[in-house]
Amino acid sequence: MTQAVLALQHIDKQFGHGHTAVTALTDANFEVSAGQFVAIIGPSGSGKSTFLTIAAGLQTPTKGQVLLNGTELAAQSEKARLAYRFNEIGFILQSSNLIPFLNVTEQLKLVDKMAKRPFQKDRAAQLLKELALSDVATAYPSELSGGERQRVAIVRALYNDPSVILADEPTASLDTPRSIDVVERLANEAHQHQKAIVMVTHDQRLIGNCDVVYQIEDGVMTRQKG
Amino acid sequence: MYLGLKEMRHEKLRYTLLSGVLLLIALVVFMLAGLANGLSNGNRQAVDAWQARTVYLNKNANQTMSASQLKLADQKKLSGKQIAPLASLSGTLRTTNNHLKTTASAFGTSRTSFLMPKLVSGHQINGKNQVLISADLKAAGYKLGQKVRIGTTKQTVKIVGTYGKSTYMIAPTLYTDIATMNRLKGAPITSGDQQTVNGFVTKESSFKNAKHGDLEKLSIATFINKLPGYSAEQLTLNTMIYFLFVIALAIIGIFMFVLTLQKQPLFGVLKVQGIGTGHILAALLTQSIAMAVIGIVLGLGITVGLAQIMPAGLPFVVNWAQFGGYSLALLAASVVGALLSWRTVAKIDPAVAIG
Repeated sequence: MTQAVLALQHIDKQFGHGHTAVTALTDANFEVSAGQFVAIIGPSGSGKSTFLTIAAGLQTPTKGQVLLNGTELAAQSEKARLAYRFNEIGFILQSSNLIPFLNVTEQLKLVDKMAKRPFQKDRAAQLLKELALSDVATAYPSELSGGERQRVAIVRALYNDPSVILADEPTASLDTPRSIDVVERLANEAHQHQKAIVMVTHDQRLIGNCDVVYQIEDGVMTRQKG
Repeated sequence: MYLGLKEMRHEKLRYTLLSGVLLLIALVVFMLAGLANGLSNGNRQAVDAWQARTVYLNKNANQTMSASQLKLADQKKLSGKQIAPLASLSGTLRTTNNHLKTTASAFGTSRTSFLMPKLVSGHQINGKNQVLISADLKAAGYKLGQKVRIGTTKQTVKIVGTYGKSTYMIAPTLYTDIATMNRLKGAPITSGDQQTVNGFVTKESSFKNAKHGDLEKLSIATFINKLPGYSAEQLTLNTMIYFLFVIALAIIGIFMFVLTLQKQPLFGVLKVQGIGTGHILAALLTQSIAMAVIGIVLGLGITVGLAQIMPAGLPFVVNWAQFGGYSLALLAASVVGALLSWRTVAKIDPAVAIG
C-alpha cells in the first residue's frame, strides 16, 4: 500500500481545562491514501467537526500528530498552514462554500488569481463538463439548485489539484437522489483522478460507495470497513 | 483586487449608495474650499499682486493698515530696495452724476512705485487727480476719461488707466498717487514729506538703526492674516473642511466595519480555503479606494460645473493644487477607514466555518 496522503496518529483533543475539560477526540487514528474515498460517520456531537478542523490544520490537537504528505502540520507556522490549506486541501462545506458575488467560472478564476497564475480555461471547462455544469458556467450561486451548488463546490475543490479533499456533510442540504448523485460523483473523482477524499456525514445510506468507513462516537474512532 | 471589484459589480446598489455618500462629502469639501478661496482672494488679491515681503505700519495700529498713521518722511528710517509708501481709503466710488456707485478700496502710492499695477489700457498717472481702475470696476461700468468722486469729499478725479482684476477686503481696487489720495481724504497737507500715509510696503528692507520710532515691521503673511475678518473667515471654513475629512473617515470606517461583520461567515470560508487576512483586507481597501475615487472625481466635476453657473457675486475660486491635496486627504481618510476593520478580519476564526 502507498504512503498515506493524510494521516492522524494518536490524536487527543480536549477543550477547556481541569474539571470543566471536554474531550472531543480520544486516541484517534486515521489515514487516507491517493485514490481512496473515505467516509467518517457518526451522530452530531460525536467529534466529526473537531476531526475535520484538526485534519485541516485549523486547530491543533492536544496530543498526537497530523501528517499531510509526511509533513507535520502542527509544527508549521500559521502562514505555512494557510498555504498548505490553499495548495494541498480542497474543501466542500455543508451548505455552500461558494462566494455569492462570483459566477461559477469566476469561482475558479479566483483560485488562479490567488495562486498568481493565468486562468486554466481548459481545466475549468473539463471539470465543469465532468460534473454536468457546463450549462451553468456563468450562473451565480443564487441561481443554482442545491445539487448544482455542491457540484460546483466539488469542482472548486478539485480545481486547484489538492492532495486531499475534505467534505463536511456535503449532502446536508440535499434530498436523497441528489445526495446519492453527489456522493457517487465524489467516489468517481477519487478513483478516476487518484484523489484522497474524506467525507464526513451522519447519513448511513451514503456509505455504499466508500472504500473505507470510520465510525466516530463520543470522540472514539473505529475503522469499520476496508 | 479581483474579489473586491467583483463584489462591487455584483452589489451595485450598496456600493453606489456608499460612493454617493462620499460624493456628497467631496462636493461639500470642494464647495467650502472654493468659497474659502474666493473670500481669501477677495481680501488679498491686490496684496498678492504686489509681490512684496514686508509691510511697515504704526506700531500702535494693532497691525491693521486702516488704523495706522505715518508720515511720508518715516521712509527715511528704512533702508533697502523697492520701498513704496502706501495710503489706503475704503470709500464709495461714484460718477459725478451719481449714476454708478460702488464700494471700492483706493490705494495711493508714489507714481513710480512697484505697487502701481500693470496697465491694460490708458496711461500711468502723470498729473494731478488721476486714478487707475481695476478690471472689476471697468466691468461695473466705469470708463477711461470719466470723472469720478471717491469718499465724501467734493474732489473729482479722472480715470486715466485700467488694469487687471484686483480686490482688497472684498472691494475692487483703484490706484492714485499720494497727494491725490490725501486730497480725497481731505487731509490738510497734500504735498511734501509731511503728508500722511498708512504704511510702507517693501520687497527687501530693514530698519536703518535700532531707533525707528513708531514703525513696526510685519511679514506679508501676518499683514494678510490681520486683515479685518480674514483669519476668522478662513479658520471657520477650514475647520469645517477638516471636520469633513474626519467624517469621511468615520463613514467609510463604519460602513466597512458593518459590511465586514455581515460577511464574517464568508470570510471564514475564504480563510478555510487558504485565502488569508491579507487578501481579504486588500479587497476591502480596493473597494474603499474605488468608492473614494468615484466620489472624488464626480464631486470635482460637479464643483467645477457649478462654478460655471454660479452668480458672479459669489466669491468662488477653483485652486487645482489645493483641490488635489484635499482629494488625496479624502482618499487617505477612506483607506484609514477601511483599515479600521483589520482587527475584525484578522480575528475571524476559520474553524467556525466548519461544523
